Order: sequence, then structure tokens, then C-alpha cells
Amino acid sequence: MADPKYAWPTKPTLLSTHVKRLDGPDKVTGRARYTYDINRPGMIYGVIVRSPHPHARIVSIDLSAAEKSTGFRSAVTAKEPGTRVFYQGDPVVAVAADSEEHARDAARLVKVEYERLPHISSEAAAMAADAPAVFPNGSTRKANADETGDLDAGFKAAAHIVEATYATHVITHVCLETHGTVCEWDGDKLTAWVSTQGVHQCAQGFAQALQIPQGNVRVITQYMGGGFGSKFAPDLQGILCAKLARQAKAPVKLMLDRKEEHLDTGNRPSAFAKIRAGVDSNGRLTAFDAQSWGTGGAGATSGFPLPYIYDFPNRRRQHTDTFINAGQQRAMRAPGHPQGCFLTEILMDELADRVRMDPVAFRVKNLPPAAPNAMWAEYFERGARQFGWDKRHATGDPTPGPIKTGMGVSAHRWGGAGRGSQAHVDITSDGGVVVKCGTQDLGTGTRTIVAMVAAETFGLPITAIKPEIGDTLYPFSGGSGGSTTAASVTPAIRVTSVNALEQLFAKVAPTLGVQPAELVAEGGRIFAKGNPSKSLAWKDACKLIGTEPISVDGKWEDGLSSSGTSGVQFAEAQVDIETGIVKVTRILAIQDCGLIVDRLTAESQAYGGVVASINFALFEDRLLDRSTGQMVNPNMEWYMLAGMSDVPKIDIVLNNMPERGVIGIGEPPTVSTASAIANAVRNATGATIRSLPLHPHKVLAALEQERAGGTL
Amino acid sequence: MGKPDQFSRRDFLKTAGVGSLATAVTAAGEADVEAQSGPRVVGPGEVPVTLTVNGKRLELRIEPRVTLLDAVRNRADLTGNKRVCDRGACGACTMIVDGRTVYSCSTLAIEVQGKQIRTVDGLAAANGTLHPVQQAFCDKDALMCGFCTPGFVMATVALIEKHPNPTLEQAKKGLDGNICRCGTFVRVLEAAMEAGKGAARG
Repeated sequence: MADPKYAWPTKPTLLSTHVKRLDGPDKVTGRARYTYDINRPGMIYGVIVRSPHPHARIVSIDLSAAEKSTGFRSAVTAKEPGTRVFYQGDPVVAVAADSEEHARDAARLVKVEYERLPHISSEAAAMAADAPAVFPNGSTRKANADETGDLDAGFKAAAHIVEATYATHVITHVCLETHGTVCEWDGDKLTAWVSTQGVHQCAQGFAQALQIPQGNVRVITQYMGGGFGSKFAPDLQGILCAKLARQAKAPVKLMLDRKEEHLDTGNRPSAFAKIRAGVDSNGRLTAFDAQSWGTGGAGATSGFPLPYIYDFPNRRRQHTDTFINAGQQRAMRAPGHPQGCFLTEILMDELADRVRMDPVAFRVKNLPPAAPNAMWAEYFERGARQFGWDKRHATGDPTPGPIKTGMGVSAHRWGGAGRGSQAHVDITSDGGVVVKCGTQDLGTGTRTIVAMVAAETFGLPITAIKPEIGDTLYPFSGGSGGSTTAASVTPAIRVTSVNALEQLFAKVAPTLGVQPAELVAEGGRIFAKGNPSKSLAWKDACKLIGTEPISVDGKWEDGLSSSGTSGVQFAEAQVDIETGIVKVTRILAIQDCGLIVDRLTAESQAYGGVVASINFALFEDRLLDRSTGQMVNPNMEWYMLAGMSDVPKIDIVLNNMPERGVIGIGEPPTVSTASAIANAVRNATGATIRSLPLHPHKVLAALEQERAGGTL
Repeated sequence: MGKPDQFSRRDFLKTAGVGSLATAVTAAGEADVEAQSGPRVVGPGEVPVTLTVNGKRLELRIEPRVTLLDAVRNRADLTGNKRVCDRGACGACTMIVDGRTVYSCSTLAIEVQGKQIRTVDGLAAANGTLHPVQQAFCDKDALMCGFCTPGFVMATVALIEKHPNPTLEQAKKGLDGNICRCGTFVRVLEAAMEAGKGAARG
């Protein structure tokens, strides 16, 4: 555990308040330079030629016409003749030319001859007995069953059993700034501007792939336009960019276009489960048995937690990965949890109806024991009060007319633990404070919380701190994934700042005629505790530093952060039973994340998570054509996302738990919303839709089925 | 860059002769023109294009296929506005041309010569003071990764120039052409309403 001197202040001036993000002005003026905005002297442009086929063997690659095209500069192959491509969008060749337009012209002139091979475009096709031999070890991979308790006894104890199949779909990350890189060589040294969630990981990736010392690679990410789990490595497009630049002896910008972004930069795997679950006459869950499967694309896994949150004392689950000819999945905002949450939470409402219990009371009855990382019971109760849950009708809105209204609820959890970040703090004789940490700001507000923690420690306004991040020249910090950044970075900044302040106190104490241990830094002054007359303004104190700055390295220590968050969300939705259109009217999200660092940006994270989950529930869907294996909506008009008019009233309640230390909040708020919406739709219509997205045609089909004999 | 070519349909007709059905094809880099009735055809090589961006004249030589967005980003290094969907679906490239919002990814640069083009790069005052819309976005935290932000800011500016003190419905409609993947909508709307109140006060 960390030395008590590092403990978070009990009466902070900045921490847990609303602090505006420091880089807001740069972003609203367009001054913020993203990788996509880097223009270097003599820079040329790279474009990747990709397989149009879901599965094929490359017969030949002919670059001759491309090499003669206007402005052509260099070409690099990603695959050789004789090898196979496994999905639409699999990279084959990269070309560079003097303008973006000429690079696209050159790419069009690359002739690749393919021998088309049978492909698999759905989970069902992958599991079929006659599935074509596409992948080396078959198109399914069955995991060992996971079993707890006595399943037979559990089902014997059940008064009601629900048996049904539940599913969620594949979605893509749709980072607004596509994946991409600007690569510039100086001899054998590479500088790469990368749109990434991990600058240090990228440097390692470049060094390994290009077989150069990692010390020769500098990666810079001052600003990046969204990652959501898909941007941790240079990826093939980054390596191709570096090779094009080396060959052309010029800096190369290679940013993917929107179609490539959909096809080849990751996605959230699908999830299916055939579930049998039992509940006793008192509303206690007794048994859960599930066969689950999903696809993460061409050879990637599709795991997710199941059952989710609730305590099924006797349970069994067996998962099968299925492989199809589509781009591989990558971590996507709370990987696995939105799927496991949906599959479980729809089932929970069905079980609650069987025992005629209120869904909130039913859930509370079946929760694991309350703990700091398991606060659901309190949140259910608090949320129900705030949301007006007592006005909820039983399943099926009795109101006449085509618009039916309903409420739903869902719970979720996440980790968000910290790990070994490093930091460096310089205090100079002019009073300047520079804090360096090789983390990166994905839009989460990392730059701002780095400065906040230092400002809090030094008793200075946040504007007095110069935070330096997003560059491998700064001390190591890990990739920004798993909601780990805040909990990794803030302890490192705190520890390093406290140590730097101790050095300053040592220089100041003799002048003030006190012991260093008596000094505190608050309100822009350094003074003796209980004797404010022995005091120096920060700037005057720093004049005692002399020419050699205070320069301190430090790192993350245990005890200032922890892991494990819980949240509950409520949704109200209106369903037009004539058109099948679902409109979300209200969301209430209750969330904790330990010690809240910046309340303003933490709230923004929660708003954003909720909106992302509304998209998951109602709009986005990666559609593959079953016969051709092509994605039919690799754009932003048919791959639908919410706009301003689709966003409901959203209320965020953050439970500050300073005693737990810092925990991340990036992912948990996006887990529950879709499930709460689906339960609201069920409550409104009386029809159960057991798969996402809740597109109008599915809502109408479910209503039709309900009229024909029921979906229960 | 040399003096922009002065090229007009009249000049072409003088040299190519009237009544010829043949298409004049000149060397790459020169302008091509089809001498028939109807619109003048130029390209595919570079042609002179003059744009008025944020009150400044930009004299460019670009191919006619180059979009307004790419022209200002790649040729003038005004990189504030972003390319995201590249087909007029997301609004990240929103600029204001003669007072109306346009998707600059789907507008050819050659088509907006002689028009007043405003991009996010020119919105703040010369001394750095933020436009009230920009200030409201900062105050309300109406941005996260910030990649959609330039487009939202321009759409909001156009909104409140048309409707100072907009109703909630007007604001939603005015901003419905923009997409944010981080999910900042709630606070963007708050910022728009806040900036709108300021605009109404003058």
C-alpha cells in the first residue's frame, strides 16, 4: 500500500468538482491537430488495396499500371500470390502517390487476380455440418463447460422454467477519426503520428514489425478521434505506411476511409444463447443452463460473461466460438458485458413475470451480497424512486391507441483497475510546473485530470500546470483500455507530485525557519501548518529552487485506486405499434467510479456510454450479405447512428466513493442501457423481443407473433 | 505558384472553333473543355480555383474533382473541419457557404468560387477570443474526442444566426445533420441553447 503521505486529500479543492477540459479551446477552434491533420513537408499519401472477396486465393498481383500512374511514389505488398484472403477488406497491397487523389488512382490500377473460394457469412453456416473448410482448425471451437452447483436439483426446485434463445448482433466501432498513421523516417529513426489508444504499445509494435530498435521509434498522439477499444497497435495499415515512407523516402499519411474502417478495424462480436432457467415460487432463481455461441469474425474469439450479475446457485454454461469470413473483432467498450447483460436481463423480466413479481424487487432478491463494488440493491431502490417506477404498469400498456409506453431496468458491473503508470514532474525557478506522462487522451479528459491531480497537490490553479502527454518521449503509461487510464495515471501523478513538493518544502523550510514537515501548499502559497504568517507565495518559494529544477520521477502505487464498479439504469420508451418504431424518452443512469476525479468529464463519459448503448439497441447493425459475404452498409447512412432528435432526456447520478480511490468509468455506463430499453419495449407492448437491434420490422414481427399466440 | 490561368469559355471557343463535335483533350495538367452548349467542362488535370475562405483569398491549382474539404485541408492546411463519412451523412465537415451550412466533403471546391466560405478555423477572433458558440461548447463540456466538434460548432453557429434564442425543437432540427460517436448530444444541445440565449441578448 502507498505511503499515507500520498493519500488523496480529504477536503480537496479541485478533485470531484466540475473542471472544464483543458483542451476544449483547441478542439472547438480546430487548432487541435489529430493524426489526420498532420501535414508534413513533402508528405505523400498512402492507400490500401483490399480484397473484395470474403475468401479467395491470390493468383497474381500486377503493379505495372499503378507504377506508371501520375504521381506514383511507392508500393508495398501485404500478401503474396498463393496466399489467401479471409474477409472482404483483407489488405493486399499499399500504394503511395503525391496526392490523395493520385494515390486512389494508383490503387485502382493495381490488378489483383483472385481465385474465389467458398465462404461462411453467418454463425449458423459456421456451425452447419456441411460448413466449407475455410479455417485451418474448422469453423467452430467449443470451450469446456463451466458448471457450478447441482443443475438437476436446481431445476427440480423450480416452480417455473423459461426456455428461449437470445441474441445480440455485430456492431463496429465507427471511430470518427479512422485508423491511420503519418510516418516519417530520419535515417533509421521513425516518427509516427498514430491515432491510437496506446503510444508506447504502438512504438513496440512498430519496432517489432520493422525490426528496428524500439528506441528508434517515437509515437505521437496529441489528439485522437475515438478508439473505443479498437486502436491499440500500429496494425497492418501502420506498418504498411512506415514501409511506403521508407521506400518513397518521404513522409506518408495513410488514413483509412470509412468503408475500410467498418471492414477491418474491429467490431463487437455477436452473442447467442439458448437458455433454460428456473425460478422457485418465492422468486428465488434456482437454475441456469446455457449453450452459447457467437462470432468474432475470421478466427477471433467471441466470449462474454453469462449469466450476468444475478445469483443462479446452480448453473452450467458452454460456449462455442464460430468463425466467419468477416473482419476480426476487437475489444469494444466493455467487451462482452453488453452482450451478457442483454441475454440475462431480458430473461430476468420474463422470469419476474412468471412469478408475478416487480422486476426491481425480483432483481434485488437475486443479487449477490452488497459490497463497495456491488451496490446494485441501493441503486435499484434509489433509481426506482427517482424514475417514478411506482407508475410502471404491468407488462403490456393498457392505454388505447397506437403509442404504448413502458419502463425497463438493468444492472451492470465493470473492473477499471489501475496499473503501473510512470510520471515525471519538473518545477522550475519561475514557478512553472510541467507534468509528463506517456498516456494519451481519447477524449475522456485524461490531459485534464493529469493537470488536476498536480494542481490539487501543489495547491495551484489548474492553469498553472503544463500537462505533457501523448508522446513516447514521456514516461511509460499503458494503453487506454479497460477503463484503466484514470486509475493508472492519477496515482502516478499524485505520488510524483507529492515527492516533488517535498523537495520544494526542503528548499523553502530554512527561509521560513520551520521544518519541511510543517509545510503545506494551498491556495497558491506555501506556509507552516497552524502558522500562516510563515508563508511564501508559490512563485517566491520557487525562486529558491535555483537553476537546477526540481525534477522527480515517480510511478503508480497501490492504495490510491481500486477496481470494481456497479451501476443500474432505468429506461422509458414509447413504441408505435403501427410502425414498430421505438423512441426512448428517458434514461436514468446511476453509476459509481470510486473517487470522482473530474465530475464534469466523468458525467460526459456516462452520457456518452448511454448514447452508445441506445445505438446498440435501436440503430447500428453490421449487415453481411449471406450469399456474397459483403457488408451491405459500410458507410454512415445505412449504418445508422443516433442523431440529436433520437437522444432522450438523460439523467446521470454519480455516486462518489472517495474512500475507494480512483476507478475508471469509460465502459460501465454503456453496458446496461440497451437491456433497459429492450425491457421497456417489452413492458410497453407485452411482446418479448429476444434479440437486438430493436429495428421496426422486428418489433412488428414480435407484435404479430404475440397476437398469434404469444411470445412468452 | 504561377499566375492562375485566365480561362474562359470565350477563349476556348476562339481557339477550338465553333461547331466541332470533337472533345478537346489537352495534356495532363491543362484544362479540358468540351465546346458544346451547356456547362463548361474542365479537367481532369489541375485548373486554377480561387476560394474565399474566412475572408481570405486562396488561389489554388487543383483537379476539378477535389472537394471543398480536401482543398482547404490538404492545400491550405486549414485542418479544423474533418472528413468522417465522406458522403454527406455525418456533418463533421460542415462549413458555412454564403450563410448556409454545407457538407464540404460532398461539395466540389470549383463550385463554390466567388462565395463566402467559413470554416471552424476562422471562427474565433484574431486575438484568440472564442466565438460564443465555441465558448458555450467549452463551458458545457459539449465535446469529448472532439472530432465531430468542428462540424457541430459550425452547425450551431448557422443555427443561431438563423434563430437567435432557438426553441429546443429548432435547435434539435438544426443539429440533426451531425453525428457524434462519443455521445455528447445532451451537452451539445445545452451549449446550443446557451449560445442561442447569448445571441438573442446581442
